[in-house]
Amino acid sequence: MTTSRSLQALRRANPRAKAGFAKSVEATADTMRARLAIDAGAPESPTGHASPRRRLARGLAVGGALAAAAAVAAVLVVAPPGVGPGVANAAAAVRKAATVTAAEAERSGTAVVRITHDDAAWAGSTIHWHGQDLSLTSDAPRRFGRAGSEFRVVDGTMYGVDDGDWVVLGSPDSIDPGSGTTPDEYLAAVREDVGGATLRRITDGMTDLTTRQLADGATVFSGTVAAGLIARETGFKEGRSIRVLPFGYVAHDEAANPDAPLHAAITVGADGVVREIAVTWGISASAWTYTVTYSDLGETPAPVAPADARPLRERLRAERNK
Amino acid sequence: MTEGERARRRRFDTLFESYSADIVAYCSWRAASGSDAQDAAAEVFLVAWRRLDALPEGDAARAWLYATARRVLANQRRASRRRAALYERLALDTASARHEPPSGDRKETLVHEALRRLGPRDREVLLLAEWEALSPAQIATVMGCLAITARGRLHRARRRFRAAFEELADDSAPGREASQLPTATASFAKEQS
Repeated sequence: MTTSRSLQALRRANPRAKAGFAKSVEATADTMRARLAIDAGAPESPTGHASPRRRLARGLAVGGALAAAAAVAAVLVVAPPGVGPGVANAAAAVRKAATVTAAEAERSGTAVVRITHDDAAWAGSTIHWHGQDLSLTSDAPRRFGRAGSEFRVVDGTMYGVDDGDWVVLGSPDSIDPGSGTTPDEYLAAVREDVGGATLRRITDGMTDLTTRQLADGATVFSGTVAAGLIARETGFKEGRSIRVLPFGYVAHDEAANPDAPLHAAITVGADGVVREIAVTWGISASAWTYTVTYSDLGETPAPVAPADARPLRERLRAERNK
Repeated sequence: MTEGERARRRRFDTLFESYSADIVAYCSWRAASGSDAQDAAAEVFLVAWRRLDALPEGDAARAWLYATARRVLANQRRASRRRAALYERLALDTASARHEPPSGDRKETLVHEALRRLGPRDREVLLLAEWEALSPAQIATVMGCLAITARGRLHRARRRFRAAFEELADDSAPGREASQLPTATASFAKEQS
């Protein structure tokens, strides 16, 4: 085999030659334009490398000004040619709601996640967070035998339930930094789904927007969103991709196909804060619904450390002595 | 919008039209997933928009974008590690994942496996040259090294790739299905972190 043949094979494997590459460029262009619209009103950071959390903090600081700028920019940049002002305004409004909600969710909140399959409960969890503390309860049916299991982070210590008893899982000092298991890292990842990047990604990607007013003053923004913007590829297993919905649920059927259009409805309360995100797919065959309901944003009390929790080492010793 | 703002927007549009495909392609082989690649590419142009006034003119802008993409991807990998660990630890739902069919192209599988056998630095310099068509001087800008260093690395990387490819081609010739070779694309990003 000659050098030129091996290099020719290498050049033929270039991602540019792959089917779908042009579509990928288009998707990136859409993502970028939408993100530019959100960021257009924000001042430039000294380094030019603002992290999502810093961007969120900046959003809190400039408050309504940023949201207003985002709304204006969204109309100017995002609305495609031929879209009427009503739809453009809806797009701007739903993005503004995402910004406001992210700011509210920064302090504290509660999110209830539910998945149904053919109208039967499939999985669910409830997440409470307050400052740096968090509790996560699995409300899933007994399908996996873990219904009611709970996990808490209080004052930097992690607690879990083992065979019905609370166990102290450890302090941050006992965990390798950067290993993905410190309380701060749990919290950062959950918050990304709760109020930050995930919500913005969904709202940025919605098309065919329609609005409906509810009796209590809330507005439902309905539209279509590509599954890839909701169910994210989180890695590979045995060389194959795994796509996961916000809050860690593995995507099934159309939701696992990044190009499939899913129906999304975002309910924004009269206070301008996102109340619920509902996504449905597979209506005609195997019907799925995925909903995330937010409540008590900024008002959720801090979870408390379980009084009867025993250190893991003590519990293991007791089991050995049985 | 002032004339200055319009000029700024025009320059950005030109930059995006000229180089977005390049940056998406680069991110697609450096990121852990397709959606991460899209996010990273979008982030690169967001940085470019913010720092447009500091961007070099002409072809140097292309190398600047690649260098920025390299930094964005490095930051993204740090975040992805935390996120993947979180999902694994919480184990909210272990239902089986939907799988995408692996590529059946035997030669391409060999290419990926040969690339996987290279060190991350060799792999990167080789692909910047062969997939991104960057010159050694541009590669030096992207990787933050001297042009002569980039040229030497590229020479070594090509030699190692050829050797790995030939060895694999010999090994897999009779009786071994291409699908038995591991799919290596995902390993790239992990090994580069």
